[in-house]
Amino acid sequence: MNRAFQSQPDSAALSIPPGMAGVVAGQSLSVEAELARYLPHFSRMSEQLKQTSLQIESSVVEVCDSFQGIAQRAKATVDRTKGFLSREGEGSSDTRSFEGLIENCSGTLVKILNLTEEAGEVSRRAVDRIRQMDKASQSISDAIEQLERIAGGNKILALNARIEAARAGSYGAGFAVVAMEVISQTEKSQKVNAQVSELITNLRTLAGSTLDDLKRLNDKDRQRVEQCKHEVDESLRDLQGAHGEMKKMLTGMTEEGALLASDIGAAVRGLQFQDRTSQRIAHVVEDLGVLSTRLKTRFGDRTGAEVASDDGFSSYTMHEERAVAGIGETESGAGEVELF
Amino acid sequence: MRKVLIVDDAVSMRQMVKFTLQQGGYDVIEAEHGQDALNKLRNTAVDLVMTDLNMPVMDGITLIQNLRRIPAMKSKPILMLTTEGLAAKKEQGKAAGATGWIVKPFDPEKLLQTLAKVLP
Repeated sequence: MNRAFQSQPDSAALSIPPGMAGVVAGQSLSVEAELARYLPHFSRMSEQLKQTSLQIESSVVEVCDSFQGIAQRAKATVDRTKGFLSREGEGSSDTRSFEGLIENCSGTLVKILNLTEEAGEVSRRAVDRIRQMDKASQSISDAIEQLERIAGGNKILALNARIEAARAGSYGAGFAVVAMEVISQTEKSQKVNAQVSELITNLRTLAGSTLDDLKRLNDKDRQRVEQCKHEVDESLRDLQGAHGEMKKMLTGMTEEGALLASDIGAAVRGLQFQDRTSQRIAHVVEDLGVLSTRLKTRFGDRTGAEVASDDGFSSYTMHEERAVAGIGETESGAGEVELF
Repeated sequence: MRKVLIVDDAVSMRQMVKFTLQQGGYDVIEAEHGQDALNKLRNTAVDLVMTDLNMPVMDGITLIQNLRRIPAMKSKPILMLTTEGLAAKKEQGKAAGATGWIVKPFDPEKLLQTLAKVLP
């Protein structure tokens, strides 16, 4: 607290040691006259102390205002960073988090790869079925060959029947007609067999080429899927690495923010010197007032008496102090620059 | 948000305490001396009062005595924040109804910890 620069009247007597006297311009003065000449300096010194105290206080208030802004901005940054990092916490399932996004992205890519692999699997199964169909076609071809052999046997049998019918003369005429009919039917079945055989050959050729196409496609797909997997894995690893670095940087920023807050706290503590200084100055001013009052009471208010010169007193440089001392000076504005 | 009334005749001290408390998430109102504080409390309810000891118009001890007569302030924490550290003065504060005594210069972190302790 400031004892608020209030002077307190004090009528207590002041004892001056005997023989104490001053000399002005070679002229001896009484103690009273000597002290009276210095009295105006008391109020000047008090005023300077008050001004100094007020200036320090005003500066401290300004510094505090600046701290307020710095601290608010630092706090806002730290809060935002903390908010981001909390979403990025270990095992975070928050879809807004970077890790969540990477996880989602990775999941989607895995699904696409799985679908591609499934398509590959379907195509592999198609290859197997075509192979089975080819095998079945081969069996049909074998069966047709057997039918061909049977037809050949029938034809020979019918020829032999005709020969025997000729030997039998008119009695074998009917039998010869039947033999001829058997030969005709056998030839017809041979034609059908040949057509079926040709169709099966064509079918097997088509199946073979389809099989080759599917195999090539399948092999290419597998290679592409493997390559995609590899590229996706690499990109995700890079992304996670970059994210890790970013997290590290943000954590560092949060720590810096905390340090800044702590530094500001220390500065606030340090700035409180002003309160003590202000109180001490107030006490000195008060004591100067008491001293001045006592001197005036003791020796009377000698307004108009010759004022002692500034010789021997400190020189003042600040314009406010000069103003207090009644010394004229052109005032410069804050921040003004004057080049000569 | 908890509301704190700071009473100090030094504007810089008020500013420093206000800054510290605002950083701790408190809402702060200010008064220059005891009488100013009593006037402000007529229209505003606060959760805690932090006052200096030596002030013009009305000092901290008198303020506390007055505050303890107000029903709404009977059980509210009142802290002294002063450069005065004499045991006799502390006793006076305690007798007047102060909850605690903090000697300036204060440590911002400790000040916030103290507030957290005394506020229910």
